[in-house]
Formats: sequence, structure tokens, C-alpha cells
Amino acid sequence: MMSRFIARVGLLVLPVIALLTAGCSEADLKVRQSTFDAKGPVARMQYDIFMDSVYLVTVLFAIVGGLLVYAVIRFRARPGDENKPAIVEDGHGNPVTEILLIVASIGALVFLAIPTLKGIWYQDDVPEDRVPAGRLSVWYPRVEGGVENYAEAVKDQVLEIDVVGKQWWFRFEYPQFGLTNDGRRSVPNELVIPKGVPVRINLRSEDVIHSFWIPKVAGKVDLMPGRRNRMWIQADETGHYYGQCAEFCGDSHAYMLFRCEVLEPADFARWVRAQKQDAPEPPAGSKAAEGKALFAAKTCAMCHNVSGHFGAGAFGPDLTHVASRKSLAGAWLDNRNPEAQRAAEAAAGGNTEASAPVDRAVQKANLIRWIGSSGVLHAEAAEPTRDVKPGNRMHYYKMFNVAGLNETKTKLTPSELDALAEYLLTLK
Amino acid sequence: MSHDHHHAPVASRYDLAPERSDIGLIRPDRFTGWRDWLTTVDHKKIGVLYGAFAMFFFLVGGVEALGIRTQLSRPDNDFITARMYNQLFTMHGTTMIFLGVMPLSAAFFNFLVPLQIGARDVAFPRLNAFSLWTFVFGAFVLNASWLFEFAHLSGWLKSFGWYNALVYTDFAPANGWFSYAPLSGTFGQADAALRAPRFTGVGTDFWIIGIQILGIASLAASFNFICTILNMRAKGMTMMRLPVFTWMTLVTSFLIILAFPAITVALIQLMFDRQFGANFFNPSAGGQPVLWQHLFWIFGHPEVYILVLPAMGIVSEVLPTFSGKSLFGYPIIVFSGAVIGFLGFAVWSHHMFTTGLGPVPTAAFSLLTMAIAVPTGVKIFNWLGTIWGGRVRFTPPMVLSLGFIWMFMCGGFSGIMHSSAPADSQQQDSYFVIAHFHYVLLGGVLLGLMSGLYFWFPKIFGRMPKASVAYWASGLVILGFNLAFGPMHYLGLAGQPRRTHTYHAGFGWETWNYVATIGAFILGIGVFIAFANLVWTAFRGEKCSSDPWDGRTLEWSLPSPVPEYNFARSPVIACRDAFFAHKHGAHRLVYEQDGGEAGVHMPSQSWMPLLASCGFLLAGLGMPMSAMGVPHAGWVVIAGLGVLFLGIWLWALEGPGGYMLKTPVAPAPAPAEAAASR
Repeated sequence: MMSRFIARVGLLVLPVIALLTAGCSEADLKVRQSTFDAKGPVARMQYDIFMDSVYLVTVLFAIVGGLLVYAVIRFRARPGDENKPAIVEDGHGNPVTEILLIVASIGALVFLAIPTLKGIWYQDDVPEDRVPAGRLSVWYPRVEGGVENYAEAVKDQVLEIDVVGKQWWFRFEYPQFGLTNDGRRSVPNELVIPKGVPVRINLRSEDVIHSFWIPKVAGKVDLMPGRRNRMWIQADETGHYYGQCAEFCGDSHAYMLFRCEVLEPADFARWVRAQKQDAPEPPAGSKAAEGKALFAAKTCAMCHNVSGHFGAGAFGPDLTHVASRKSLAGAWLDNRNPEAQRAAEAAAGGNTEASAPVDRAVQKANLIRWIGSSGVLHAEAAEPTRDVKPGNRMHYYKMFNVAGLNETKTKLTPSELDALAEYLLTLK
Repeated sequence: MSHDHHHAPVASRYDLAPERSDIGLIRPDRFTGWRDWLTTVDHKKIGVLYGAFAMFFFLVGGVEALGIRTQLSRPDNDFITARMYNQLFTMHGTTMIFLGVMPLSAAFFNFLVPLQIGARDVAFPRLNAFSLWTFVFGAFVLNASWLFEFAHLSGWLKSFGWYNALVYTDFAPANGWFSYAPLSGTFGQADAALRAPRFTGVGTDFWIIGIQILGIASLAASFNFICTILNMRAKGMTMMRLPVFTWMTLVTSFLIILAFPAITVALIQLMFDRQFGANFFNPSAGGQPVLWQHLFWIFGHPEVYILVLPAMGIVSEVLPTFSGKSLFGYPIIVFSGAVIGFLGFAVWSHHMFTTGLGPVPTAAFSLLTMAIAVPTGVKIFNWLGTIWGGRVRFTPPMVLSLGFIWMFMCGGFSGIMHSSAPADSQQQDSYFVIAHFHYVLLGGVLLGLMSGLYFWFPKIFGRMPKASVAYWASGLVILGFNLAFGPMHYLGLAGQPRRTHTYHAGFGWETWNYVATIGAFILGIGVFIAFANLVWTAFRGEKCSSDPWDGRTLEWSLPSPVPEYNFARSPVIACRDAFFAHKHGAHRLVYEQDGGEAGVHMPSQSWMPLLASCGFLLAGLGMPMSAMGVPHAGWVVIAGLGVLFLGIWLWALEGPGGYMLKTPVAPAPAPAEAAASR
């Protein structure tokens, strides 16, 4: 009975194990959010400790699991046992064995405890030995950026970025460069950092708890409303990294993604300068100019800032450079051509940080889909589509109960939607 | 006035003359059928009811899980909406923990503890019935949210004025079983009606009041078991001769009475935030969201051990029985169980490593979490020691117990992995954690509980489940389980966060999510077959002897099904595994000279515990309905509290009652007979 059962289970389990091992390849360890493929010192430290724990439990598993299997087979009941007298004993165990096993277990855990303690302090704050390289004045090429890019007072500081979480997007601010939401210069959803230098991240939330996680660069730290958490990160290779909110934060938690662009320091300086540019005026009479008018008329400007055009919006993502970004809607929609992206990754030898450029056609389709399906802002003639981001706040007036603002006033026709998208495409 | 003990002993409670309680109502002692089940105070019937409800809710939670897995089977899926997904994972976790595992453990506590300690019932039989019905109504309140949700989705609520005034239209809870504030709470300033804006709808109110009611049920039951185990042991049943399952019941009960007050306080605070504009967790008014996490996890981590210790107790009974050998290192297994319970209160912040505790607390909780692996390891070593040198008989309960050890060990290993805070910062809130705690709670606890079901089912119903079906079900459960949760270790480390409605293609998660979904369905089929097999056995299964496994503890000395008075005469205990020693000649069981024609005292049945629990049902439904704005719902809450107090008042005034029942006094089976009956 039993041996047949074991044989049956074996027949079921063996193909599964074969499938599991056959399914593994090196590419599986390099996927976009893989923690196996650490690209910075923090993630590498965390990965190393993880591997320590893997070695530890593999040894323990081999010993305990092996003994268990051995005991079950070796001490199985045999025909004739029923005629033997029963084993009657007191069950006190063997104190010497017990104590030795406890001591051995503690010893095994010390093996993991030591790197753990080192790691906790290492990841808590920017380590001293990394600070000289991280100082703005050391690595930031002043000549190129000019004094306007950072104040003299902060030249001895580490680059600091404020990360603000909201339902369901991230806002990034660079106070040392004046790129803040109060100054209407914040950067939504695509974090940009220079390569090879430590960056201090200050984490805040404006509503519920979120969590900041770029698996290849660093493990997560939560954004707690009412608290200021901090962490430091460093990426050692340039490229386009993928991150995601890792704390359940409501309806669209799954859709709260972000990206992290790691640039050479000189490119980073150029990027900072570009962020300070105002949006260009669309040519009079163009579709984009019509869109610009709609941006005000349909109340978009109440929440969204477009520097140089509309300065009232502090609530939603800053759209001054929306067309320059590779993603939309909290990085849920990708503005790159999927074919081109696959090709780019393949050309880089399966490196998922390689990125194709923005595809304008894809970008425009994304803009139309996103605005057209959001909350009650959907276009009249548009097919009813599932919300790109269920519960998103583009209908927030309902909560604020703003007088005179209702569905009719914010609804868009397909041609209005097109004009709005054309306008947003000019905001590079 | 008192009617206690004035009856002449009767052979059956149906022979009793109708008797009035002190408040003048006829006592429901002579009921049969459903009225008997509603008023019963017999720990065995209450245990069976706990088990039946728990298995039902296991299936409900399982269907919720399959909804989740179907949605995740492929990328960018829209099988269900994001909100429905969030509701499903919230209710899946809540159902499995509070309505599945805890009541199934309670079923074993109820059925076994009096039998194992040689008692005739628990210390407070009517309180026991109150625990049961409070659990049932708490479960109903929690799941009533689904009824509202479905009514809302079908548009049936559109004609109600209060419905159209709602800002939030999520009726089933979508806040996660952990219900982190402020997502579950409020923000901004309260208005004149003391209502502050919220992030979630009335589902959260259902959840708050449902958990609160379930907590009352658990607390009442735990006090009952502590009193029972400490006071009602048979002569000679010293603490160090208690069966390990009873020991684990005791430890679990202490964990419950120490852990549940924390969640009770937290739930009251959250309810005050939502209903009355308090600001405990509202950051914009100076509240502390992280306070919720501390209160929740100082309940929530001991809760993990509340779930797992009973299963460990079961395994500690099953392994010696089928190894034909006493439990290796009994004192150290008991002691490590207690140490796990104690340390369980010292590790809660390992759920909060990413919240920015600072390095010192993070380090402290990291080390304490590693420390708790030691007593857990000790248990595994001792189970191994129990098998070592024994004669291992393979039966469905034994296979499931061995499965428990194996899966629990794997879960323990991934637990060691994220006891290290830096490594955990990559694993926290990812699928790796899902894999970990399902290995502990499903591969561990569920297999342990299934092992217990197959082990004690012949005792409970006197019928033996079919072994071939049991093996097939166990095989499917173990295979499906590993197929579903094994790949999640990889998915988590490949960066897939948990609690996400869907994911894009191109992140490398497609294949293993698909495999996991297939595994989940195999697992679901296995559990369904196992439960169907058990239910069928209860009614139609083959009858078996009273001691089919060569049992070791006192319950096996009783006939199956166990008579309502349990022991015709109270046993006197001389050693551990008293019945085994009795059968195999080390120490014969001796009995006291009670029972017989003089009868044993039996507690009276009562409607009052059920009535009091009904108060919770009314108050529990009224509370979220008043939050919805249903007119007069607030009065339902007050009426419910009134019914509760009325029930308890009448319960106090009706008098304990009781009657004397004659017991047959044939001596316990002699060693030769016991051996022959196998």
C-alpha cells in the first residue's frame, strides 16, 4: 500500500522537479526587478547576506532533511513487528544530544548574525568612506552646469533626493538644485541619479504608506506619513532601472510603478539644466495650442503644473517635461515600442537596463488612453475602457466638492482629447 | 430555589422530567435534532460544530484564493477588477486565519482537551457554547460584507437614498488582513458630524467589527481552556504528564489572552478614528500610523504561533503513535513550545523592518527572530528523535504529519532568510514572503490539522476514512501546494511585489505565475477531496474499533463515538501515555469509584449563550450599516448590545442546573482485549 503510494507520489513529483530545474536559466536571474542581479553596493550587500543565508539553510536542509528521510526509511515498520513487544520508555530524550544540538543551532545562527549586524548599519546611513566621492563639489562638473545648478552652501553635501509617495505615483525632488514641488519643478515617476556616487534618499508620504523599491539598486524602505525615513542608494552602471511601490496602498497599488534612470555625472548635470527649462509655447493656431487652452478649460491646470504655462497645480504630477519620459501614468504605461525595447535588451546581451528611445506614436496612444479612461474624464465617444489606473484621482473634485465642477465640464470629445495629447507631446 | 442535583440519576437525558430553570423557563436538556445542537454545552458537539464551520470557511477562503490565482495566471489580466482583487486577498487572509485555522484548532481543543486530561467537560460549558456562537456570528458579520458587495455590483442598492449619498462604494474589506493605517483609517479634519475623510469604504468597518467579535470568541474560549487544563485534570495527571497537544492548547490559550488585547485596543482606536473622528492614526492631525503597526504585530506575530502551536501539538501526538515510541524529549518539547510562545512576543517588529525603525531596534529584532529558530529547531530534532529507533507505520495521519515536518522545515528555512533585516529589505512584501508563510501556515499548519482530522476522526465519529482516498488527497495537496508556492520563492526574489492586482509582461514573471496557478487548483482539488472524504465518512464511513491506531492517550480508552459523560469512571493516571502503558503492561489504568448508579453530574443545556451571541450579530451588522448611512442602523447597534446584556443577565439568573446521569461501569479493556480490538 505504502510503497505504491510512494511510487505514485514520486511519479508526480519527479517531473515537477525536472521542470523546475529545466526552467532555470541565467536570464531568469537578470529580469527587470531581479534581486539576484545587484547593480549597486546596497543591493549587493543585501544579496551577499541572502546568499549567506542560502548556504546556511542548504547545509541545515541537507542534514535535517537527510536524517528525516533516512529515519523514515530505516525505521519503517516491518512485517513481524506486531509480534515484538511494544517499545515502552519514559520519553525523557537525551539531554547531552539536546544541548549539543541547541549549541550547534546557535552557532549556525551566529554565522548569519554577524553579516546581518554589519549590513544593518551599512544600509542605514551613507557610509563615511563613501562620502568624499559623493560630495557635490567633488563629482559635479560645475563648469558645465554653472553656479545656478546648486547653491554654494551645499557643495560639501551628498546629493539628496526627496521622494514623496502619493496614491498612486511618486514625486522626486532635488532641493539642492531647486527642483522642488514648491518651486513647481518636481520630477514625477522617473527618478534620475548619477552613476557611481551615493545618493541620500529622504522618504515622505502625503497620504497612505508606500514603499520605495528598486530591486537592483537597493531593498525597500517605507514612506510613512508623518515620518521622515531615509536610505541611501548607489547605482554602479548606467541604464534604465525598474522600481515599484511595495506596500499595499489602495485600489491601484499594483499600478504604482516608477523608473530610475542612471546617467553619467555629466549627463546628469545636463539633465538637471534641462529640468529648469520652461515649456515652449506651442505655435499659434496649432492643434497643440488648442490643447493648451483645453488644459485650462478642462481644469487640468488646477492640479498639474506646466512651468511657463500654468503654475497653479501642486497636487498632481508636474507635466512640464512629460513628453521626455519613457513612461506614463505612474510608469504603468510604457512609451517605448515593445519590439524596439526587446531588440535593445537583446543587443545589450540580455541587459534589461538597456532602453529603446521614446516612440512618439506609442506615447500619443498612451496619452489618449490614459486621459480618456481616467475616472469620469472619459471621452464621450471613446469606447468604454477599463480604467488604466482604477480609482485614480483625476476626478478628485468629487472629493473636494468644488462648486460648479462636474462631469459635464470635464468631459472630453475625441478631438479635444487629441488636441490635449498633441499639447502634452510638446512638453519635452 | 436551587434545582441542583435534586434529580434522581437517569440513564439518558431524554428520561429527564421537564425542569424549569430559576427564571421559570424549561431547560432545553431533552432536545434532539437542531435544537439540541443550538443549545448544546457538550464540548464534543461544540468541537464538531467548530470543525464543520471551520471546514466550510476553509473552502470559502480557498475559493477566494483561486480567484486571486486565476487573476494572476497571466500578465495584464482583467479576470477581476483591482478592487475585487484587493477584497479577495483581504478576505482570503482574514478568512483563513480567523475563520479557518483558528476555529479548526478550537475544534480540536474542544473535542480533545477534556478527553486527554480525563475530565467530563470543560470548566465553563455554557461559556464554551457562547464562544462557538460568537465565532459563528463574527464570521457571518465579516462575510456579510460580501452580500453588500454583490448587491452593490448587481445594482440592487441603487434605489436606496443612503446608497446614492455614499462617497466610497467598496463594501467588502479591501484593506488587507493587516489593515494598515492610515489606508484603513482617516485623513484630514473631521466634519461637524465627527466624520473624517477616509481612504476606504465600509468594508473596513465590517472588518473591524468582525475581528473584534471573533476576538471576544477566542478570548472566552481561551480562558475556558486555561481553567479546564489547570483545574480539571484527573487524579495523577500532573502537568508533566499532560499530552503534548493539551500542553500546546494551554500555551496557545495564554498567547491568545495576552495577544488579543493588543488588537482589541487597536481596533477600538481605529473604529473611533473612523466613526467618531478620533485621531489615533491620522497623520494630518498628529496621529501615528506606525502605532497601528506596533499594536497589530504585537498581536499578529503571536498570532502566527497561535496558528502553528496546535498543529505542532497534533504532530507531537501522531508521530509517537505511528512510530510506536514515546515522544522523544517530552520535557524539552513542552519547554520549547512555551519558549516559542514567550519569544513570539519579542519579535513583532520583524514585520516592520522596512518602516525605518532605526538600526538598533532593527538589529535587536533581527537577532531575536534568529533566536526563535532555536526552539523551533529543537522541536524538529525531537520529532526526528521520536521516529529514530521506532517502527514507523504509514497511515494517512502519519504521512500528513511527516509532510508537516518537511514543509514546516522549508518554511522555517525561508524564515531564517528574512530574519536578517538587510536581506529582508529585498524580500519584504514580495512573493518570497508569500511563499514563506504559506509553507509555514499551509504546508505546515494545514497539513498538521489534516493529519489531526484523519487521526481523530475515528474517535469523533467511530468511522474510519478510506485510506486510499486519503492518500490521494494528501498527495494532491502536497504536490499542488509545492507547485503553487515553490515558484513564489523565485518570483519574490525576481522582484514581484505581493498584493498587486496584475503585472506587465516582460518582467519575467509570466511562466511561474502560470505554474503557481495550476498548482493552486491542484491544491484546491486535493483539499476538497480530503474534506469531502471526511464529511462522507462522518455519515457513511466504515465503522471502526475504539482504538484503531494503538493510541497512547486517554481518549483512545473511550468508546467511539465518545459518550456524553466521557468517562464512566474517572481515570487515575500514573504515567505519561497512560493508555499505552495500560495496554502494554507498564502501568494499569485505575479508576475512581464515581459514576455508576449514583450518576455523574452533567451540565444543563441553555439558550442563553446563543441569545447573548445574537447580540453581537445585531451590533456587528448595525455598526457598518450605520457607517453606510442606513437610517436607524445606530439603533440596531444599541438593540444588539441590549440583547447581549439580556442574554448574559438571563444566563446568570437561570442557575447552573445540571442533572445526574448513570454511567455503565464496565472496567476498561484489559491489555489483551485492547490489543485484540485493533
